[in-house]
Amino acid sequence: MLRRNFLHLCNAVGLGLAAPIDIDSVLRADELKKTEAAGYPGPYYVVFNASGGWDTTYLMDPKGVDGINRLYQQGEILTEGAHRFAPTAKHIEKGMSNEDFFTKYGNELRTLNGLDLSVNNHTPCARYMATGKLDSTNFPTFPALVAACHGADAPLAFLTFGNYSATGNLVPMSRVPYLQSLNLLAKADFVEGNERAPYHDPFVSARIEKALQEQFDARVSSVRLPRVERSQSMLYSAQVNSKALQRVVPFIPKQQAKERLAQQADIALASFKAGVCISANLSIGQFDSHNNNDTDQMKLIPEFLAGIDYVLKRAEELQIREKLVVVMQSEMGRTPTYNNGNGKDHWSINSIMFLGPGIGGNRVIGATDEKQQLTPVDAKTLTTNDQTGVRIRPEHIHDALRRLAGIAEHPISKQFPLLVPPGEGLSELWAG
Amino acid sequence: MKTAQILGTVFGLIFVADTITAQTPSVQQNSAQSIPGCLLEDRFFEDEVWAKVGERTCLRCHNEKGEAAESAFRLLKPDLTASDSTWLAQNKSAFETMARSAEGDDSRLLLKATGQLDHGGGEVLKADSTGLRILQRFVRQLNQQDTRQPEDDMSKESAAAAFFNDLTMLTPDRRLRRITLSLSGRLPTTTELDEVRQNGDAAVAAILERVFQEDAFYERLKEGFNDIFLTIGIEDNAETLLSYHHFEKTRLWYQHWDFSNLPEAERERAGWKLADVYRDALLQEPLRMIEYIVRNDRPFTEIATADYIMVSPHSARGYGIFESIKDQFKNPEDPFEYIPAKLPALTGRDGKTQESATGLYPHAGFLSMFHYLRRYPSTETNRNRLRARMFYQHFLGIDIMQLAPRSTDASAVAAKYEIPTMQAPDCVVCHRTIDPVSSIFQDFDFEGHVIPRKDGWYKDMFQAGFEGEDMPPSERWRAPQWLAERTVKDPRFAIAMVEHVYYILFGRKTLQPPDDIDDRHFAARRRAYLAQRRQIESTARELADSGFNLKTAFRSLIAADFYQVDGLQAVAMNPDRGAELDDIGIVRLLSPEQLERKLKAIFGKAWGRLDGETKILYGGIDFISITERNADPSGAMGAIQRILANDVACYHVARDFRRETSERLLFSTIEPSVVPGDDMSNQRIRQTIVSLHQRVLGQDLVAEDPEIERTFQLFTGIVEDANAQGRFEPRETYFCGGREEFRTEDPLYTIRAWRGVVTYLLRQHSFLYE
Repeated sequence: MLRRNFLHLCNAVGLGLAAPIDIDSVLRADELKKTEAAGYPGPYYVVFNASGGWDTTYLMDPKGVDGINRLYQQGEILTEGAHRFAPTAKHIEKGMSNEDFFTKYGNELRTLNGLDLSVNNHTPCARYMATGKLDSTNFPTFPALVAACHGADAPLAFLTFGNYSATGNLVPMSRVPYLQSLNLLAKADFVEGNERAPYHDPFVSARIEKALQEQFDARVSSVRLPRVERSQSMLYSAQVNSKALQRVVPFIPKQQAKERLAQQADIALASFKAGVCISANLSIGQFDSHNNNDTDQMKLIPEFLAGIDYVLKRAEELQIREKLVVVMQSEMGRTPTYNNGNGKDHWSINSIMFLGPGIGGNRVIGATDEKQQLTPVDAKTLTTNDQTGVRIRPEHIHDALRRLAGIAEHPISKQFPLLVPPGEGLSELWAG
Repeated sequence: MKTAQILGTVFGLIFVADTITAQTPSVQQNSAQSIPGCLLEDRFFEDEVWAKVGERTCLRCHNEKGEAAESAFRLLKPDLTASDSTWLAQNKSAFETMARSAEGDDSRLLLKATGQLDHGGGEVLKADSTGLRILQRFVRQLNQQDTRQPEDDMSKESAAAAFFNDLTMLTPDRRLRRITLSLSGRLPTTTELDEVRQNGDAAVAAILERVFQEDAFYERLKEGFNDIFLTIGIEDNAETLLSYHHFEKTRLWYQHWDFSNLPEAERERAGWKLADVYRDALLQEPLRMIEYIVRNDRPFTEIATADYIMVSPHSARGYGIFESIKDQFKNPEDPFEYIPAKLPALTGRDGKTQESATGLYPHAGFLSMFHYLRRYPSTETNRNRLRARMFYQHFLGIDIMQLAPRSTDASAVAAKYEIPTMQAPDCVVCHRTIDPVSSIFQDFDFEGHVIPRKDGWYKDMFQAGFEGEDMPPSERWRAPQWLAERTVKDPRFAIAMVEHVYYILFGRKTLQPPDDIDDRHFAARRRAYLAQRRQIESTARELADSGFNLKTAFRSLIAADFYQVDGLQAVAMNPDRGAELDDIGIVRLLSPEQLERKLKAIFGKAWGRLDGETKILYGGIDFISITERNADPSGAMGAIQRILANDVACYHVARDFRRETSERLLFSTIEPSVVPGDDMSNQRIRQTIVSLHQRVLGQDLVAEDPEIERTFQLFTGIVEDANAQGRFEPRETYFCGGREEFRTEDPLYTIRAWRGVVTYLLRQHSFLYE
């Protein structure tokens, strides 16, 4: 546990102001050094966002009936293990087809169909999917929460490239728009990043850092306004921990990828590998296909899947694949009917996919009917049950994600209760 | 219940905003102070029954205009600025009456809340909910079955204490520094500081008036409002704001500009430059309107009602009106001189002129401005709802999407009704308010041009209107004006404008009401929210009373305790008080733009590197896809802070020593020859450190202060370490003063030690935060 995590924890449990504490007497120095030296070891969390609202019936929840899909009929639906999916190979120009995606990853994938959002506007849906809470703007997104619980001191603890990214004031969000930015940041003490031209002699830098640390330590025992205390702590951590960005340099690809998600992924994966990042929001937009739904979705879904494939392949190369938890989502689905512009409008029934350590693959939970209405799910057995099942909503998913990440009982998580009714927790959601 | 009222309550506007027009002086007290004595003994009612159930649940319908207006159980909306809490006493009485009223063995209050006895609102409290438990306890207490004292961490004395009692405030001179740096990007002058030392707050107020005259204030004002309206964020070339249909012959005037006076080789480049300047001039128009209104003390209602736009000579050419107004410019050659102008009714390529009873384009401030409508575009399915949403957010302070009401089964509703937005109660509740405003903009196309839809406006949505009032068809030609007239009379308008000023001054939005009634600090958070609300509503009243002179809002908030809080008097604080003060104090991370201005104010030169990609890395925004600034520094930002501190110190320290002593900004009382050692030298070094702390950090510290001592130890430690090296370069490094342009000798290592000191100061909270 690093210094600022500890401070957060103090605040979370109400210690911060009432009981000034000598942190170093609480934290064992050797533990602190060990963690700082090694960086965050994983698992790492990646949330892929298909921003704008994907058409689930062209991906993991195929229909092919009643004119829901114009590109295929029910009889053309394909199967890979437990997964049924829409055939797309012959409709796409580039990217990854469903056929290739499910063949390659179906065995690892856990899919949930029939996720009820209760609303169908972009902003509340994006917030709901990202945080598990519909009616509050104070809740952190899952990646921000897991970053705060596991390592808010990592210099790029929570990376975001778009989508709803609220942090609940728990952890700073990092935006790193270009790969080469990392090079600049990693060499902050050198003129123009030139390692042969340090700004200061090493003993001067050491003196400056020592003075800053002494100043920070002196302030810990003083009583300050909460905002002052919080911001001084965050600033100190940001500057001190930014030095760990040097570890990223060896993992920065020499050339920037061309594809949108791959560009984001290279920054996130290099940061994961270097142990300076816990979670990342990767996102591509333009899924909001109110016009020409099929054309747009057949362009974007393959791009999205190719991005996921890129991340998994590159993670394999970096030897962090087995530590990567991947969530694949969009803020909403699309209607079962086409509008006059050959588009599809917003639909409050959605799907979501997962893979990674602790997640059993080759399983589909929940379902929608031929009108794309959801079928309730028995929370214990995870089988569909019209009579006693529950409508699975984002709070159920986030409750399960928190358990998967081991942060459900973390004091920070408890500040943001999801209020899943008793008996509705999806305790077996990840079971193999 | 009217949908507007539902929105008002759902979105947290549960207070009586229409009291803004009243003349009662503001009463800034802790809520407990304004409660009659009999109620002071019953915080349980106010903090639990009322705050967690009555206000949040019952009041939605049980108010004089609500769905349950005819019910015997009628409640009053809180009046935060009233001098007493009669409303609370009456509400308590209503609750008691209802609670005592029994149906069989059960209280009607409990039965109704749980959906029994044909309660019109159905089940509003679940059986195992906190809300119901509170009501159950309330009933038991009334029946004297429960004599427990209220559970409240705070003592009554503490609760009754004024909100700011144990806080320290900025001294007038530090407040002045905050004002000048924040609003005009400069340090206070020596004369101003003398004035403040002599006349205190009165001098600060007088200097603020002078700041209002400075151009830099208007740069900050425009920057702040652009964060809110984002009108700079147009992705296309700005001339496309002007439709091809109406401005075909004029919007590309720069392509036909006569460059024959230039050598042919330079003409193409000159054309590009002219286009860039023209586009910039066009993009600036909305913000120039804000500047014009505020600079000239015009009512800020004009942001919605102005019957003009602001044009420069360049942008006027785009509209095709330059020739008719060119005499009004002081300098028609200045592309960025703006004057108010009115467009004639627009005539299209088909020769048809838009309907207009005045012969003019029906200007309505931002609401009819092409920039605003383009920034928030529409689609065939969106039907201007984004524009309606932004209208509510920008002009009435309501974020419609913030707390979207949950539907039991949105997909089933969508499937069940032919026109859900007009028929399904779950949808109608919001669309009845949103869609009439959407329909106001029906004659604007997706891109914000005045091109009505070929098939006519949609019939399957609520037609044009505002808050329950239908717009007469005869007003359609001036629909934005019709909306604007009603908007500025709406009491929420003044509050929204004050909230904008709050954002500019504090760098964050105002507090939302706490929403977790199970939070053990709920009452404390609510007190914090109410204290701030009182200030906002009080300032809103001042704004309205001043004829909507926006400077009034700046004056009021700057004079408020919220702006002046500096620290704590108490040596310890209980957790509830901590929660109450959680948002107190400005403490804002300076934006890239503010940081550059501060550097310029202190060092005489901006860094110049916090732009482009680095601006985004440092939490800045691009006004298009990245629209919210980072409030907290990430590690990436921490790295940039290190670069900045290193680089700025590198650039300035040796240069400052090269100036004549009288011209130095940093080291006017010391020379590089002064090394630590004897008392005299140490004293000079300490005095220099004191002045550096003052200039860079705004700290007025004595030479014996521990912070000065720490910096002194840094300086002396660096010099000692250098000497301990045995040998070091006798001059500054190549990049920080050793270049050919001037070679800075540093045989004693003192210049580099001072550079270390300045680097250290630039990394500090007091420099990087406001």
